[in-house]
Amino acid sequence: MTLTLFVGAIINMLFLASMYILIALGFALLFSIMELLHVAHGVIYMLGGYLCYSLSVTLGMNQWLSLVLTVGIICCFGPVLERFFFRPFFRDFDRTLLVGIGISTIIETTMALSKSNEAQSLRAFATGILKMGPISVSNERLVTFLIGALLLLAVMWLIHRTKVGLQMQAVGQDLEASLLQGINIYRISALACVIACGLAAVAGSLLGAYMGLGPFMGDFVFQKALVLVVLGGIGSIGGIFVAGLVVGGIDAFLPLFISGSATSALAIGIIIVVLLLRPKGFFGREMGF
Amino acid sequence: MSDAVSSARDEKKGSRLGPFAAVALIVLVLAAIPLLTDSPYLLHVLNLTFLTILAAVSFRTIIISGQFPLGHAAFMGIGAYASGMMAKWLGWSPWITIPLGTLVATAIGIVIGYPFSRLRAVYYAMVSLFFGIAVVQIINAGGVLSGGYSGLTGIPPLMGFSKTPYYYLFLIVTLVSLLVLYRFETCRVGTTWKAVAQSYLIASSVGVNEAFYRVYALAVGCFFAGLSGALYAHYNFTIGTSSFDFVATMMFLMYGVVGGMFSFAGPIVGTALLVLAPEAARGLKQYVPYISAGILLIVVYGMPRGLIGLPGMIKGLFARRAKDGAGRAYHAS
Repeated sequence: MTLTLFVGAIINMLFLASMYILIALGFALLFSIMELLHVAHGVIYMLGGYLCYSLSVTLGMNQWLSLVLTVGIICCFGPVLERFFFRPFFRDFDRTLLVGIGISTIIETTMALSKSNEAQSLRAFATGILKMGPISVSNERLVTFLIGALLLLAVMWLIHRTKVGLQMQAVGQDLEASLLQGINIYRISALACVIACGLAAVAGSLLGAYMGLGPFMGDFVFQKALVLVVLGGIGSIGGIFVAGLVVGGIDAFLPLFISGSATSALAIGIIIVVLLLRPKGFFGREMGF
Repeated sequence: MSDAVSSARDEKKGSRLGPFAAVALIVLVLAAIPLLTDSPYLLHVLNLTFLTILAAVSFRTIIISGQFPLGHAAFMGIGAYASGMMAKWLGWSPWITIPLGTLVATAIGIVIGYPFSRLRAVYYAMVSLFFGIAVVQIINAGGVLSGGYSGLTGIPPLMGFSKTPYYYLFLIVTLVSLLVLYRFETCRVGTTWKAVAQSYLIASSVGVNEAFYRVYALAVGCFFAGLSGALYAHYNFTIGTSSFDFVATMMFLMYGVVGGMFSFAGPIVGTALLVLAPEAARGLKQYVPYISAGILLIVVYGMPRGLIGLPGMIKGLFARRAKDGAGRAYHAS
């Protein structure tokens, strides 16, 4: 009995970790590697979810096809984001933050007014349950886990193994030096923004099916992404894997021991203590801000 | 973040008499408002504006010391809840609990200040943001003692239910606090804060105790935020955690940046505009976020130095001196 509970919690931890990593990936690519504070990440995620909903439910397309289309459309936001969000306020922390908040407020208010807060939900991407002896996992969670792991590996490969990824790291670490190397920083930032928007769209569609859609669903996402990236450390994309496991573990195991609303306060308290012991996160470096 | 640091230079320009006369005139007009009108609604809005100005300026005080307290509104909440709970459950007079609540907020600021002073820049901002979230969630988890999610109700009033005495009290408290904060910023302590913000390495190499001065700034900021929160609790009689969460802190930042973070008057102007403008359009309540966000975007894109920098910007436009290139292009930090 206890063992089943324990195994269940471990599976829950892995699922939550993959979910948080999926949420945080696009944000981490911009914040951690390029040092661009992408406050509107949650809103892009929300738009991705709603777009996938309108393609698959309202227009009646195939679910997976609409996921691909959503990613394609949301990716187009990338260059716009780079040109009007990040380029005018490069390395200006409070103004980047405020522009993001302003845009998010406008988009969220528009969505809230037009959707009138009715609850909507995507169809599940996979149905059925996988049984392995005494434990059972729903296929939906399995799909989320697999896609999260796959995308994390892909982004890690992109950043560490490809020329574009190395250029991204260079721009994040030393702007002037990378300019002197002949890197087109605008193009590299725009590319990173495109990828980040695409990742946000995937997360929005997958988790929109799992958790339901709402105009303010991005706020939770932004908070989780921030926790993961800061805990993992600026400049390390592998760090968010560890941070995802830690945060997922806290969220999965704490409810076994204590109950009620104190759980979330304790969870964030643990994260604060970890950050006080390791002021730069698990694998972090100083930041340019 | 570095905007606030360059303020000392800008304030030295021009004579002192003009600004002094302007401030005196504004204070006189504000003092006369309750004599001219007895609309409780207007007085209520102005009362809230005073308290918000106090909190926003205390937020900026911490920022000039090089810290970015994204959980600052939580200290307002600590002051409000400490004072409100003491007055409600222990039956003490609000005149005693308001100073006590302020002291509780200051004490918590000092206690977290020392461990937090190890963190810098973005990490400090993020950890203080998480601290603010943690405070809100602890209050929410407090059950009947703190009112939980439904908020703390039935807080004893400070002095009756009429708005006018509160108006004068808040006006005086805000003015005195602003004087104190201004004095802090212009005296040696404030200069040291700015030095620590510009380069903690150079500051500590000439013998400045960096951690002490950062905690000092945090304590001063938390004192006035706690005071503002405690007064708010005994004025509004009902408090909820939604007034003290991350969004509230973002509001302080927004007021500061819209007014101009580099100047002491910036947050005051920004708060006055951004609290009063949506109230003027309260018939369109659901569109209010558009108004604040619109003002914010116009200022952030069009006026790099905020509303306070607007006269200088127009002057510079006529003199064709495009000296201030801040935020024009990519430039290394």
